Amino acid sequence: MSLDLQTNAAGQLVLITADGTRYENVRPARIFPLTDADHWIALQDATGRELACIEDPSALQDSQRAALQTALTKRAFVPVIQSIERITRAADGYIWHVITDRGPTTFHVETDEAVQTLGSGRLVIIDDHNTRYLIPNATALDPDSKRRMERYY
Amino acid sequence: MARFLTDLDASLHFHQGLIVLTDRRLLHVEPAQAEDLSFRSWRLADIEDLVIDELGAVAELHLFQGGTQSHLWRVTSGRVREADGFLAKFKELQRAHRHEVLHGHPLGSTTPKKVEDDDPFASDEVATTSPPGSPLWRLMKFCSQWHKLMALGFSLAMLSTWSGLIAPWLTGDLVDNVLIPLQSATERVHVKHVYQFALYLAGAAVLTWMLKWATTYVVSRLAERCASHMRRSTFEHLQKLSLTYFNKKRTGDLISRIGGDTDHISLFISVNFIDFLVDVLTIIFTAVIMFTVNPLLAFAALGPLPIVGWLVQWVRGVLRGGFAAASRAWSAMNSVLSDTIPGVRVVKAFAQEQREIERFRQTDKHIFDTNDRVNRTWSFFEPTINFLSDVGLLVVWAVGAWCVAHDKAKVGDLTMFVLYVMKFYGRLDSMSRFMASSQRAAASAHRIFEILDVKPDMPITDGTLTVSRLRGEIEFKDVKFRHGSRQIIKGISLKIEPGEMIGLVGPSGAGKTTLVNLACRFFDVSEGAILVDGIDLRELNVMDYRRNLGLVLQEPYLFYGTIAENIAYGKPDATRAEIIAAARAARAHDFIMKQPDAYDSLVGERGGQLSGGERQRISIARALLINPALLILDEATSSVDTETEREIQAALDHLVKGRTTIAIAHRLGTLRRANRLIVVEDGKITETGTHDGLLAHSGTYARLHQAMIEVTHATATPL
Repeated sequence: MSLDLQTNAAGQLVLITADGTRYENVRPARIFPLTDADHWIALQDATGRELACIEDPSALQDSQRAALQTALTKRAFVPVIQSIERITRAADGYIWHVITDRGPTTFHVETDEAVQTLGSGRLVIIDDHNTRYLIPNATALDPDSKRRMERYY
Repeated sequence: MARFLTDLDASLHFHQGLIVLTDRRLLHVEPAQAEDLSFRSWRLADIEDLVIDELGAVAELHLFQGGTQSHLWRVTSGRVREADGFLAKFKELQRAHRHEVLHGHPLGSTTPKKVEDDDPFASDEVATTSPPGSPLWRLMKFCSQWHKLMALGFSLAMLSTWSGLIAPWLTGDLVDNVLIPLQSATERVHVKHVYQFALYLAGAAVLTWMLKWATTYVVSRLAERCASHMRRSTFEHLQKLSLTYFNKKRTGDLISRIGGDTDHISLFISVNFIDFLVDVLTIIFTAVIMFTVNPLLAFAALGPLPIVGWLVQWVRGVLRGGFAAASRAWSAMNSVLSDTIPGVRVVKAFAQEQREIERFRQTDKHIFDTNDRVNRTWSFFEPTINFLSDVGLLVVWAVGAWCVAHDKAKVGDLTMFVLYVMKFYGRLDSMSRFMASSQRAAASAHRIFEILDVKPDMPITDGTLTVSRLRGEIEFKDVKFRHGSRQIIKGISLKIEPGEMIGLVGPSGAGKTTLVNLACRFFDVSEGAILVDGIDLRELNVMDYRRNLGLVLQEPYLFYGTIAENIAYGKPDATRAEIIAAARAARAHDFIMKQPDAYDSLVGERGGQLSGGERQRISIARALLINPALLILDEATSSVDTETEREIQAALDHLVKGRTTIAIAHRLGTLRRANRLIVVEDGKITETGTHDGLLAHSGTYARLHQAMIEVTHATATPL
């Protein structure tokens, strides 16, 4: 393994590159956050400069991968929608009541264009506050959710 | 040896004439008065020169003899291309002739003796439209590939019509055999009969219901199939058409044809056509039934029919024109929309909202007016049909009453007749509605077939030679290109070695972009040839060739989709590693990572939130990913600021490495890596050389360079 990942006392990610240089407070960023969240993770410094790029985290050692995962979960917040309870009309758009992998929530979207397709049934919904909600496979949703969604998307 | 048709006379009136070149003489024949032919001839040896002079829409062919112009022909610009060919033949012959005079023997024996065997007076313009025929008939043929579905729909329609006619028949029986005997109480009617009739009537109703359901579904399906096939084939056909076609067409008009007109057709087939079928069948069936039951009554009932027929014929003509106009008006509105919405920044910047609103209002008014015209005819037509059916009914009542009184018909027959006549004229009424929709569908079908009938002027199947990877040598061999009446490229010869970078410089409109378009084979050369790796471009399979071609344009076009998809546009199966590598090489990776969804960020129609330089770098990554042997940069850096230009330049340097590159640039800095600079002016190469060499030459390039320095200087020093 040419690079090493650790967590420092402050809970920040630390990167030690192949030549031994140590970078504190490294930020991981997914290169394909919606289509391939598990691979291709860029490691940036505080200014956004890219220090390294990890294609497949599963090739890392367990402790390194754990450090990376902790850092990633802290930054990336993309709830995955599991079912749609109902979608109601608001004065300016729609309110979605959904159950996600992070619990039930409601969010407000303004236009139809907030729902974007990413190929092979993958949908992403961007709400008014730029939070992304992911539906990994729209065809695999339960029939009620699909029916509720059909009217708006 | 050669011949050439002239099509104008001295006063520029259309007038055909024929110039024939023989091995000794030049002959000119033209029809004079009536049957006479005027005839002139020159000895080839006497002719000094033959020169063509283009004057826009008209060209003149001068014949010089003994130092003076001895004759002049005029032709329309459409014939200039042939005139060029004719002139070439003439020159060749003249050369051979002079050689013979000088040396006493003919020059070789290879003078081409190719004889064009086509009729000289036949038009060589390829007709853009195949025989149109009735658009509706063509629509039928277009749908005939679903003949099974069609046959099913037809038989279902027939059955449902037939079952719909059972009820009146039963009613007649009911009146005669049950109701009247009941009322007159002359004979006892078993109550069983009443139940029986009720049961029959209910059965007929259920049967009709089910058959109608099936018919509607089958026919709607057929209609949707047809419309979808039509949309697809129109779009496929559009993709095959050359750029020339799109330059001429308005986007909104094409969108409205593919979207709106196909929808009209679908609606027509699914709703109106089936109605029409049922109408015709009903009318025939009822007529037959009526005539078999009581010819006299039937005759009376169908009395107003000829008037209806005449009315239909008249209204048809009016509506047809009206709907065509309405469709065109609709297209015009779409054009305004597709013009104004993308150009909204310009509109706002020039504070022309009111003017655009006015423009839209006018096109919308036009739609209103054309529809209003149709409605005027329409509103008269429908009530008239209603009135006529009332008259028909009246006649039936009158004649029927007389018949019953004179014992020529039974009351039941009369009841049945009234029901049939009501059905009959009801059908006529709905048939009249069919008229409107059929005319609308015909107008729409015509607009669709108009697209389908355009023959691709650049057929992509003609090149049969398949190639995989080209070395990237490209040679222009005395290339000429004419667009309409304008000669844009006037003979360019240029050989570019594999890996060489060529910079095309010159004033706007000199033909640089045309040259590049020719190299992409968006158009074909009028004369001469372009050779790639020694193969004529026209012999190569276009798709194979273009896979070797990378294109970076001034205005990078990004499609609606993610950034990753846009980079992989030319190679959809590219791996993620390849996409990232291409983006890194194009200096795009860093700003992509700053986007909210990194490579998964959506970019809109024209690139949405990205800046011009960012979009350009994505388009460079797109070109890099297909690893082209030939690279074309058309003003790739001219739409961005100097800072961004530097970024793009760095990206381009990556791209150019090891590839044959043709770059057009106004900013001469972009071309600092070019091996050779070619100055193009007025369709010709005027200077060739390196940057320093051309500066020393102090010609056009030096002037352009000077102008650029002055501009940079002027902008750098505040006033």
